[in-house]
Amino acid sequence: MNRAVRWLTEPVPKGRIAAFRTLVYLFVAADLVIFTPWVRAHAGTPGELYQPLLVGRLLPLPTPNPPIVHGVFWTLLLLALLAATGRAPRAFGWSVFLLYFEWMVIAMSYGKVDHDRFGLLVALAALPSAGRARHGDPERSEAAGWALRVTQIAVICTYFLAAWAKLRFGGPDWVTSSALAQAVIRRGTGLAHLIAGVPGLLIVAQLGILVFELLSPLIFVVPRRWRGAVVAYFYSFHLATFATITISFAPHLVAMTSFLPLERVRPVEWVRRRLGRTGAYAPDPSRP
Amino acid sequence: MPVSWLPGGKLSPVTTRLTDRGRWARVLITVVGAVGLLAGTLWGQDDDFPFGPFRMYATAPDPDGAAKDTRVEGVTADGRTVLITEANSGVRRAEIEGQQQAYEADPARLSRIADAYAQRTPAAPPLRTVRIVVRWHGVKDSRPTGTWTDQVVAAWTRP
Repeated sequence: MNRAVRWLTEPVPKGRIAAFRTLVYLFVAADLVIFTPWVRAHAGTPGELYQPLLVGRLLPLPTPNPPIVHGVFWTLLLLALLAATGRAPRAFGWSVFLLYFEWMVIAMSYGKVDHDRFGLLVALAALPSAGRARHGDPERSEAAGWALRVTQIAVICTYFLAAWAKLRFGGPDWVTSSALAQAVIRRGTGLAHLIAGVPGLLIVAQLGILVFELLSPLIFVVPRRWRGAVVAYFYSFHLATFATITISFAPHLVAMTSFLPLERVRPVEWVRRRLGRTGAYAPDPSRP
Repeated sequence: MPVSWLPGGKLSPVTTRLTDRGRWARVLITVVGAVGLLAGTLWGQDDDFPFGPFRMYATAPDPDGAAKDTRVEGVTADGRTVLITEANSGVRRAEIEGQQQAYEADPARLSRIADAYAQRTPAAPPLRTVRIVVRWHGVKDSRPTGTWTDQVVAAWTRP
């Protein structure tokens, strides 16, 4: 088997995919209610303003109306919470993927397409294939490894191909353009206006963004011990973006946890231990 | 549970392997997805979601060109101006901008915004006029100058 295929399906602990699964499906529920509540408002948007995306025309998906929007909302909310338990990962996983995809078509068929959730969509598409996984399970799985790997690739593509899009639509002049100045004017915070006041700083920031995006695939080749620092850098980039031009990219941030050893985060286990109970994989002191 | 205990209480995790078919199916799906995304980046548009280009802030506006800041306003019968937002109409600013040409070509389309506003904010007085206003902010050397001018690009008044 060649190296690329081995890399693509590099096994990870099942506990990691279990934690990732819970996080992703809880986020879907939170996304519906907290992060993108405006999607639901499309129930009351006149049908004439609906301009379906290519996929909506091909399938063809119906023009959203109140029963469709509210029906998808409540069904998806319920199924996402059920999927977060890790039970029936295929049945719940596929249902959530299909409904969330329809939810996104409803979201983005009124004149504005967002680019913050390709990684999340790939995670939702890949998670059902990872099979059953229990929290804390150290057994490694290639199916789980693939699901995380393709999510990672999607996350990095969001950066790398964004640089490519800048070169395609803006050209090399993008670096010296007023792209960030426009963003600051449209949605800048006080901090952003402070930064914009410094001559040349927005241009330096633009150069930094383009270089960072073009170099982002290096995360796959840096030594493993540096990977955490690189991911921390990615997160800090989004923190800066949020602090200056109030763009959160929340779905992307959740997908990016596919790079992290999530199996070490065991909130339920920690509570149980506090209460004096031991979990399934806690070391048994009676063993030699 | 296929976990064996080693001396010293260490776990020796077992690995669940993929079948050959499962492995190659995943390789194929990965390659098809990657080709779709690359094609979308090179030749696609937003319409090709989710395989369209990641074109957020990808245009290169003139370093000395004015920056466009769009808003939608409604005017009630007694002359009060209301800012139309996502919260009171359910329509996002970027969605209005995305369809701006359609509004300019047919300003009566703005009556739909008045409808959406009435639907979303039933207690508010109905809108008599809806207009799209672009505030052009001055930009020099890729920095905001702090000056601006307003331009109404489409307006509709209830007949």
